[in-house]
Amino acid sequence: MKTNLKFRRVAAIGAGMTPFRRRMLETPQEMAWEASRRALDEAGLELRDIDCVVIGSAPDAFDGVHMKGEYLAHGAGGVMRPSSRVYVGGATGVMTAIAGWYHVASGMCKKVLAVAEEKMSTGRPHPQAVFRYIWDPITEKPLNPNLIWIFAMEMHRYMFVNKVSKEEIALVSVKNKRNAASNPYAQLGGEITVDDVLRSEVLVWPVQLLDVSPVSDGAAAMVFVDGDIARRYTDTPIWVEGVGWTLDNTSWPNRELAYPRYLENAARMAYRMAGIERPQKEIDVVEPYDPFDYKELHHLEGLMLAKRGEAPLLLKEGFFDKDGDIPSSPSGGLLGVGNPIAAAGLMKVISIYWQLKGTAGKMQVKRPVHTGVAQAWGDLMQASTVMVMRN
Amino acid sequence: MSWDKRGRENELVTWKDVMEVERYVYTAGPDGEKFLRGLREGKILGRKCPRCGRVYVPPRMYCEDCFVENGEYVEVKEAYLDSFTTIYYDNADRRLDQPITVGLVRFKGASGGLLAIVQGIPEIGKKVEIVEYGIPLRVRT
Repeated sequence: MKTNLKFRRVAAIGAGMTPFRRRMLETPQEMAWEASRRALDEAGLELRDIDCVVIGSAPDAFDGVHMKGEYLAHGAGGVMRPSSRVYVGGATGVMTAIAGWYHVASGMCKKVLAVAEEKMSTGRPHPQAVFRYIWDPITEKPLNPNLIWIFAMEMHRYMFVNKVSKEEIALVSVKNKRNAASNPYAQLGGEITVDDVLRSEVLVWPVQLLDVSPVSDGAAAMVFVDGDIARRYTDTPIWVEGVGWTLDNTSWPNRELAYPRYLENAARMAYRMAGIERPQKEIDVVEPYDPFDYKELHHLEGLMLAKRGEAPLLLKEGFFDKDGDIPSSPSGGLLGVGNPIAAAGLMKVISIYWQLKGTAGKMQVKRPVHTGVAQAWGDLMQASTVMVMRN
Repeated sequence: MSWDKRGRENELVTWKDVMEVERYVYTAGPDGEKFLRGLREGKILGRKCPRCGRVYVPPRMYCEDCFVENGEYVEVKEAYLDSFTTIYYDNADRRLDQPITVGLVRFKGASGGLLAIVQGIPEIGKKVEIVEYGIPLRVRT
């Protein structure tokens, strides 16, 4: 089923990234420029060809600079052209691509540069401090919670409701870090075992050190163009076929923790636009948002690529491996590549783009792929963004 | 109605808190470091775009128009005052004992500029002499 929305077809024709690293010497603007330059080079365009710029960045407080969209603009090619910043917490990265899409889909621009950047190493002692003020100031803030507490509760609830063990969840971390070993941009690729995860330091039970993605600096950028002109620049444009996003209730105690309802809504919106009726049969490769290992399973269920509570079983059978039926996080995901918030989300879209284009190099999955999905999710578990692409 | 108009803050149920990361450690970046080292040697450095020739002060890794990596570092000279202002009150609304003159210092043939504390009688367009290479820069008319 297709919606009767009228919009122009949009193609991705270039992408670029900086490596994701714990502490980068470069300033946020310099990282944004490096990623943007690489994206333009891959697209075969110069900055003067670009009509509009979209900049995505999560809280200003990470980089420690207010009005980060404006701050990044000259590194992102945004000077003297229509530029806007999008921000929906951790879901920002995929939202940056979606905003790039609607600038073109609406017919307003022909060629858009979408740039996402985050420098997490600036705030000390830990960027987690930035999240101190996302809580209810009266009922929650006095306990000084951090996000890991809440995700620990979500993970625990997910494990309880679906009878999932820590061992089963640890397999995500093992898979993603192994995939990241073939990703030249990755911060934490490598061969680890389930035992390594279970023996790593307990941070906030049941979350242990190897259950969480690292803190990273990095930037990513993509070029989206009007479908009518895409073939002037490439023989293999990758089509954006569906987009979706949902904002759930920010009062997190009012939500079901074991299942990501916010994602199901966003995914249904994107699938409807792309004409996907049976996601598990029609999707070939997926990049679900995985800042924690359980989160990948949670999101695979929200994306309806597994039934509720079944993602761990499919994972154990190798269904989501790089050579499996639906390779999941072939890039290595946030667990392996790193987590500079907004850039990590756009990295997910870039990974799918490279997979569909067949230029993912050592990351390329075994089976031929035609339909891919990238997803991000943010903040108090409430925002999710989804993009479906085809070659 | 606003609190200050009612003037009875102690009747309201409020929650006081602060919002901050303990501290920030900013990196100057490769070009920023070059600039800071230049200051130590008593030089103001800029960096030139190999395509359009624009010289960025302070030096920048890339040209924002041509979007290519900038080329050679050049020492810029002939500082002049592009504009200035005189400050009588500080940010906490206290009157200063001595007003401070702050100017935007530009350099001939370069784009960009630096904020500086200005000594002497300021005049727009007038050449200035750099008396202290640091942040802030100090110049004398």
